[in-house]
Amino acid sequence: MTLKDPGMNTKTRLYGDQLAGFEAELDALRLSVLKQVGEPDARHIRRMRGVVQGSAIAGRSLLMFGWGPISWIAGVLSLAAAKIIENMEVGHNVMHGQYDWMNDPSLHSATYEWDIVCDGDHWRHSHNVEHHNHTNVIGKDHDFGYGMLRLSDEQRWSKATLLQPLWYALLAINFQWGVAVHDIKIGRFLKGRMPRAEFRERMRPFLRKAGRQLFKDYVLFPALAFWQWPRVLLGNLAANLIRNLWTNAIIFCGHFTEQVQTYTPREVVDETRGQWYLRQIQGSSNLEGGRWFHLLTGELSYQIEHHLFPDLPAPRYVQMAPQVREICARYGVHYNSGGFWKQYGGVLARILRYSLPPRAKLAAT
Amino acid sequence: MLRSPLLAPLNQADAWSRLAGAVNPVWSLVESRARVVRMVDEAPGVLSLWLRPNRRFGGFQPGQHALLELDINGARQGRCFSFSSAPRADGLVRITIKRKQNGPVSAAAHALRPGQVVRLGRAQGAFAPRTDHQPLLLLAAGSGMTPMMSLLEAMADAGSRRDVVLVQSASTPAELLFAPALDELAARLPGLRREPHLSGASGRLDAEAIVARVPDWALRETLLCGPDGFMAMVEAMHAQAGVTGQLTSESFGRRAAPVLPGADFHAVSLSGAHFDVASGQSLLEGAEAAGLQPRFGCRRGICRSCQCRKLAGTVLNQLTGQVSGPGEELIQLCISTPQSALELAP
Repeated sequence: MTLKDPGMNTKTRLYGDQLAGFEAELDALRLSVLKQVGEPDARHIRRMRGVVQGSAIAGRSLLMFGWGPISWIAGVLSLAAAKIIENMEVGHNVMHGQYDWMNDPSLHSATYEWDIVCDGDHWRHSHNVEHHNHTNVIGKDHDFGYGMLRLSDEQRWSKATLLQPLWYALLAINFQWGVAVHDIKIGRFLKGRMPRAEFRERMRPFLRKAGRQLFKDYVLFPALAFWQWPRVLLGNLAANLIRNLWTNAIIFCGHFTEQVQTYTPREVVDETRGQWYLRQIQGSSNLEGGRWFHLLTGELSYQIEHHLFPDLPAPRYVQMAPQVREICARYGVHYNSGGFWKQYGGVLARILRYSLPPRAKLAAT
Repeated sequence: MLRSPLLAPLNQADAWSRLAGAVNPVWSLVESRARVVRMVDEAPGVLSLWLRPNRRFGGFQPGQHALLELDINGARQGRCFSFSSAPRADGLVRITIKRKQNGPVSAAAHALRPGQVVRLGRAQGAFAPRTDHQPLLLLAAGSGMTPMMSLLEAMADAGSRRDVVLVQSASTPAELLFAPALDELAARLPGLRREPHLSGASGRLDAEAIVARVPDWALRETLLCGPDGFMAMVEAMHAQAGVTGQLTSESFGRRAAPVLPGADFHAVSLSGAHFDVASGQSLLEGAEAAGLQPRFGCRRGICRSCQCRKLAGTVLNQLTGQVSGPGEELIQLCISTPQSALELAP
């Protein structure tokens, strides 16, 4: 039996045997792919790490030793690509434990540290624990709107919300900082809901990591370039900016497109694994594109598959996607997928739409 | 100063090491690695690898062992093997590996080819005579012969005239390891007497057979290496005669303790996950059976890769037989079995 909620978007719920069958099919898919994981996946992640290192060396060398605008642009693009692939294809996926089975200490989720101002342990908590567990549950998934954007009717509207397109632009430009302070929960401290001692404790890893990153990109490497320092400093700034805009766009396309569903904490009480699967699918959206596009997103273009199976090596998602889609079609579950511009357009539309007060409120005033 | 995290990535040994490894896979600033130079069949199912380690290796003492790690279908797995050669001037080392059923590392080692690069950890252990004058008895069964060969070669290189009896057990003549090399060694070691024992023809090498072959065994300093049952038998023999102090044995860590049917199960929590582990089963195996992937290395209590923090509960160390206290301490998952409910943190 399939029931649909009334309203603009339709949220599919499954019950009884259908829910059990849905859960069993996704579990079986996971197991069948898990059995194939091995040598090719190990080769992939090592090759990606090599690409990151090569691209970073090339980019930084072009910035330090090159002259003229062309080598500057090439250097920026190369360094930005290194940061993007390191953050998304290597860092994000390794920190999910996708490669823990390799038993390689340099690629283990517990200790990996990535090239971004966000501290690894903070990320492991805010992302792996909170976001992946409570995906799109308003109030529990702090990634939903990042505590500064109103993206669903369940979130309260205030006059400041009208400015949210501006907040969004600022967040996108400084995205790595948004991610970095995310797990500190500054809002809770400002509202007096967090003791000062705890706040200081939470700030410490952030300050340490941020200090190191700032020193690396804006002191150490510029200084090594002697009189070329402005070129290097600006190049690093530009590379970080490109990475910020790109990762922000991809991540927002994952959960804030127009069709994604949100949930209230009450809806997910006593949720079964099958219902969790359902929520992951309906709370996520995929992007379509070529092989390099998927690679540069860290396979987060397969957001649905990633949310169903966050600990499977990401290159496997491409192989699983048609099967997930087919299972969804049979159970009548909406599988949200589209090209980058269509999905990102949807994200921007959503940001604009929810910056306006809810209709009920408009009618009342 | 040079190790300061502020200088990263310029001072990251890992990153430089990967660059070096791209030029030559045996080069590394952080890992002890070795290139396979030669492979020699010693007996049916037994193979010697001649390896040339890089500088991180740092040499070894006769009788020591090292962790050999291979990538098996993408996953790193390791096992300890004894060196079967004495340290040599040309830097080559030999390890001798018997192919084991259900032994992925030994199978993968047999599938290696000359020129390939393996991870060979730094030498560990101290399996060597404790005195330099007392008559020696070397008791070796099967591939337990490998460290003995290293010790004998080193004694020959040092020109030793020591009284040594080597009792070497194997089931058939073809399986007596290093027979031709021992013939050569005998010429250089005037004090060496060889007592090969063929268990296929004359039955298992038991206490009686040892006494018959070496009547003065109790007066000799004894070095022992072989399968668990054989070692337990010799240890019991020494305990009975009250000469345990004469005995040094090499067992590569944990001896397999079978999980008894009807063993108690204990609830274990490890960083948020909950599972049950039977008394007698290692926590590592229990965690893996529950679908977790804790970090591990040698799986026999040597390398400490799987070390984690026990917050509460008691465990039995299968290597030492010691029972832990109830409080917080570091334990190794691969050799710890629960005696109560446990709370663990990585």
